[in-house]
Amino acid sequence: MILAALSLFSYGLKYDAGQSLLQRLAMGAAAPVQKLVTLCVESVENAWTRYVRLVGLEEENRKLRGAIGELEAQLTLYRQGYLEAQRLQALLSMEEREPYRFLAARVIGREQAALSKTLWIDKGQAHGLKPGMPVMALPGLIGRLTNVSWHSARVQLLIDEGSSVDVLVERTRQQGMLRGAGSRGCVVRYISKIQDVREGDVILTSGLSNIFPKGLLVGKVVHTDRADAGMFLNIRVAPFADFTSLEEVLVLAGEKKDPFRERKAAR
Amino acid sequence: MMYYVLLPFLAVLLVVAQSKLAEILFSGLVTLELSLIVVIYAGFRLDLWKGAALSFVVGLAMDCLSGSVLGLFTLLYVFIFLFAWVVSSHIDSERLYLIAGFSLICSLAESLVLVLLYQWVFAFDMVDKILTVLVPQTLLVSVLSACFFYAMRTVERLLTYE
Repeated sequence: MILAALSLFSYGLKYDAGQSLLQRLAMGAAAPVQKLVTLCVESVENAWTRYVRLVGLEEENRKLRGAIGELEAQLTLYRQGYLEAQRLQALLSMEEREPYRFLAARVIGREQAALSKTLWIDKGQAHGLKPGMPVMALPGLIGRLTNVSWHSARVQLLIDEGSSVDVLVERTRQQGMLRGAGSRGCVVRYISKIQDVREGDVILTSGLSNIFPKGLLVGKVVHTDRADAGMFLNIRVAPFADFTSLEEVLVLAGEKKDPFRERKAAR
Repeated sequence: MMYYVLLPFLAVLLVVAQSKLAEILFSGLVTLELSLIVVIYAGFRLDLWKGAALSFVVGLAMDCLSGSVLGLFTLLYVFIFLFAWVVSSHIDSERLYLIAGFSLICSLAESLVLVLLYQWVFAFDMVDKILTVLVPQTLLVSVLSACFFYAMRTVERLLTYE
């Protein structure tokens, strides 16, 4: 074996120019192997590259999802702001339209128990609120303040069982007393059966008590019943305001100051 | 008989695979001489004829495919095999650090012979490549031989259990 190797080596040193039969044979045999190995390596390389690319894509995907989440949160924030602006604009338009001084407040809580339908607002005595002040939301009256603390107040809604408001039917000017009826809305009492009250009639505050000014929108008659044994009509009223979606309200803090009238009174 | 028939093909496959691996792992800067490790392993594990035939064929494949002088690696590998075969009776191949050391010596000797031969016969100055190429290559062979022996030992044990 050593001799053979030595002979090869000496032959190689003397004659080798890369063209020996042995070398050609070996290269011929190695070519398909080389091709096969290269193919395998390239496949592995490609798979690896694809995997690395996929890992990159996954990372990118994760980042993009994060960005989408953040953008969605921002969008929600902006949408909330836009809707709030719209609501406040509507409230402002009411404030401009009505001859009263309003104080805007945000609803911070609601109590919708069986016997109590109230809201909590974020303004109180410190802002000039007093018990009994009417509270409004588009398009009209929703209730009045009952308990007022320093920085919050409770609003008794029209549908609260304990709520009562002097009202009149807009069309016939018949007066009655609006009482809360919980989930059924409100009922108007003390209107005689002989009076003409129809479904769809608008109910307004009558202004008889000193609590609510005259002419505030309250609701619409949805049902009248004369079949009852009593003297009075059974009138069911649906308030105009949707109490379940109130977010901002206006507290009616008094009449707007009229400089002309003030000057006249002073004289 | 099958051993001798398959040997040339496996030798070619080994040489091609090691050059490809070196290309992938080290961008061709360092040669990954797995063939030398196989020859050393043959010196420790195979009988004289089988091992000598393997060294001869692997060396020949290296000569033919690496473009070196025909017979150079054949001669070197046969000598290294014989050296390993002689030494195998004095060294415990279970001790991997001894295998690593022995491989280091073989690889250094091979590198030295190559440098000197190219210097004297072909007047190629390879001295500058000693530190950058040959030393890392030698260390690599040393480490890999220990790993190879460990892996082969595990395989042998598994085959024995079965």
